[in-house]
Amino acid sequence: MSSDTIPLAGEMMPEILGRPSIINGPVSAGSLDDQVLAQVERGPSALWYVALAISSIIMIVGVALIGYTIAEGIGVWGNNIPVAWGFDIINFVFWIGIGHAGTLISAILLLFRARWRNAISRFAEAMTIFAVICALIFPLIHVGRPWLGFWLTPYPNQRGIWPNFRSPLIWDVFAVSTYFSVSLLFWYLGLVPDLASLRDRAVGRFRKFVYSILCFGWRGSSVHWQHFDKAYTILAGLATGLVLSVHSVVSFDFAVSLVPGWHMTIFPPYFVVGAIFAGFAMVVLVLALVRRTMRLENLITIYHMDVMNRVILTCSCLMGYAYLMEGFTAWYSMNEYIHHTFMQYIAGSYAWAGWTTITCNILIPQLLWIRKFRRSYPAMIFVALAVTAGMWLERFVIIVSSLHQDFLVTSWHFYKPTIVDLGILCGTFGLFFTMVLLFARVLPVIATTEMKMVLPGAQPHHLGGSDEQ
Amino acid sequence: MSNEIFSVLGLFDSAQRMTDAIPLVRQKVAGRLEAYTPYPVHGIEKLLVQRKSPVAGMTFIMGLIGAISGVVFEMWANGVDYPLVTMGKPYLSWEAFVPIMFEVAVLFACFTAGLGMLLLLNRLPFFRHPMLHARSMPLITRDRFALAVEADGRPLDVAAVSDALRAAGAESIEIVENLAAPGLLSPRFLFTALLAIGLACMVSGYITYWGIKLFPKSIPVVHMLDQPKLDPQRESAFFKDGFGMRMPVAGTISRGHLPYTVKDEIAAEVLSNPLPRTPEVLKNGRQDYMTYCSVCHGILGDGKASLTAAYGAKPSSYHTQTMRDLPDGRIFHVITSGKSTMPSYAAELLEGERWGTVHYVRALQRAYDAKDEDIPEESSR
Repeated sequence: MSSDTIPLAGEMMPEILGRPSIINGPVSAGSLDDQVLAQVERGPSALWYVALAISSIIMIVGVALIGYTIAEGIGVWGNNIPVAWGFDIINFVFWIGIGHAGTLISAILLLFRARWRNAISRFAEAMTIFAVICALIFPLIHVGRPWLGFWLTPYPNQRGIWPNFRSPLIWDVFAVSTYFSVSLLFWYLGLVPDLASLRDRAVGRFRKFVYSILCFGWRGSSVHWQHFDKAYTILAGLATGLVLSVHSVVSFDFAVSLVPGWHMTIFPPYFVVGAIFAGFAMVVLVLALVRRTMRLENLITIYHMDVMNRVILTCSCLMGYAYLMEGFTAWYSMNEYIHHTFMQYIAGSYAWAGWTTITCNILIPQLLWIRKFRRSYPAMIFVALAVTAGMWLERFVIIVSSLHQDFLVTSWHFYKPTIVDLGILCGTFGLFFTMVLLFARVLPVIATTEMKMVLPGAQPHHLGGSDEQ
Repeated sequence: MSNEIFSVLGLFDSAQRMTDAIPLVRQKVAGRLEAYTPYPVHGIEKLLVQRKSPVAGMTFIMGLIGAISGVVFEMWANGVDYPLVTMGKPYLSWEAFVPIMFEVAVLFACFTAGLGMLLLLNRLPFFRHPMLHARSMPLITRDRFALAVEADGRPLDVAAVSDALRAAGAESIEIVENLAAPGLLSPRFLFTALLAIGLACMVSGYITYWGIKLFPKSIPVVHMLDQPKLDPQRESAFFKDGFGMRMPVAGTISRGHLPYTVKDEIAAEVLSNPLPRTPEVLKNGRQDYMTYCSVCHGILGDGKASLTAAYGAKPSSYHTQTMRDLPDGRIFHVITSGKSTMPSYAAELLEGERWGTVHYVRALQRAYDAKDEDIPEESSR
């Protein structure tokens, strides 16, 4: 069988009975390169420049406001006792959560051999890295004097003291920095063979030189592939444990404290599911745009979108369970403080946020039970936008609603963000999309090597491969 | 001069054909077999008889080292070097050290798996490999599968190897020679580039170091020194009188104190010491005397003390007859209101403390002027 013409599976029987096709139309290893890698070699379109201009202007506003915050101090934010954690920590948890979908797709789904992940893993991993960069900004500027941020790391100093390793905030430093560096490593290792493909396609001398350096002189020998494949699988296994630990540690920031509404054992799984939920919504949102504008419909098919929407639906149901558990804990514990905090979520000053959260995260995603909506662009973009907004508001409810009425009635305080808070939040969205746009131009957005592995006929029969798609 | 032959490549158009060709080629020719493929072909290492990848073992060992070094460091830092009590737990309560132990283990393991694979096992980056300038390389990274017969010390029989590969189904044959690396990728250039990067890092490091050293308090790095608040004893444009500190409202008295209304020493003569002469009172009186009085009046009350020379005043000794005859009230009045160069001690000593000091002054006078009959019977024996 020639690798250039591949018959579609499912021609023989109704689509719904066979294993679903993960590609649309004829795709071969060569055509894949011509389609995906050529994107990098062509000049960008006018639309791309417009998008980059908008996102980078928003980013610059955010950067300016961060500069203003550092010069003036965090008094320019809305935080005040008792709501000492405001937008800074909300945004931190939000962005870290967005990142988790990428690691889930690249690591956990790799271990489960979900073939559909190969087309979207590169983009999702890149989004992980960009989201974690956005997230890392917040704890750093939140400390007020970011130039002393290195005090969080254990290094020998003339003060003769060490950080408190029993503090969840120090766990956070270790978890998030490990997560970032491992995600970067994982992403880059996956890129190495693709960069070698780019090197070999490059026409100009300079381009060839840059890609040669970036791919470390990769030559695709079977010895190399054997080590590479093994290491990649191991990294996936380790990243699986890591991704579950990172958001658990983020939830410990809350759960280890004694604040009613935070001090709950359900927090780690609840946060991890929420992170995957929000992350998948963002992946759907970005891929829905990318697959149209970059003409990747044959590789990122509507089936991919369908599967991701099913993941969103599953997470939504789990989130519903977590919300119900919060109410149950408040009732069953017979603790008047937890009860009071829970009532604040649904009937207090921020009840609007609580009910919007429930609507966006639990009610709207139920649309995805219907196959037509899972495969409809407007419907999935609507759900993804709702989930993104809902998950941001959920963190707002958890943090602000729980804090604004503490044990001392005299210090109750109605939290209102300032324009600087809002500007920095928008600025990180600008930063995120600027990085996404740049990435889409300079690096292959689909892991071509991984895609080639799952094309029909890619693996020899007698060594366990299958001709079936 | 012809270059040395590195290998002979046969290109195949599918993984299936290449793997089928491996046993056929191995039967016919000597030399090391190696495959170059666009993606990992599973199971090919068994056909090529390559050793199993040691990545898993390396990762496990380094992960273990990471876990142990993480938890040992935490316990040493928070339990031994700088013992820190957190929530009343023992210093070496290990449970709270688990999250960081886990993260460090994952960090070590991941970097061993990733970089260990790339740098140690695959010996990359390496830009001089002959394969990199083979004409087939762009095809291999695209969609072709190359089976290479590589020279292992002995020279290759190019014709025989080519025939064997062709017979096994190769669509084309390439002979790869050992060539020098192209200009930009030569070791010399790369070394220079690395040196330049290192130098740039050093220069920027020095600039940062001296910048911070010479301008430690440039904006915004002012360490919260610039604060919109009033410091004690400072001017302030906010108040009309220009003082930062405020006077208390007229008529304010501090809690537990009554104003002292006695005008002069003569009027004070009628005051009597309200405190009993107990060892406790004398002990406190001695403490206050030592703190406030002895620097001028001397430890013994004889007017010989460390401050008298510097102060220019000559306090009279307590041990004159005039002083011995003074009523308690006059001594109390002098402590309260001051006399000539002696300032008032009303701010330093509470009323009761002043009376206690009076008792102690009396005790000093009595001790200085001791008589034989003051010595107790038992101790004179």
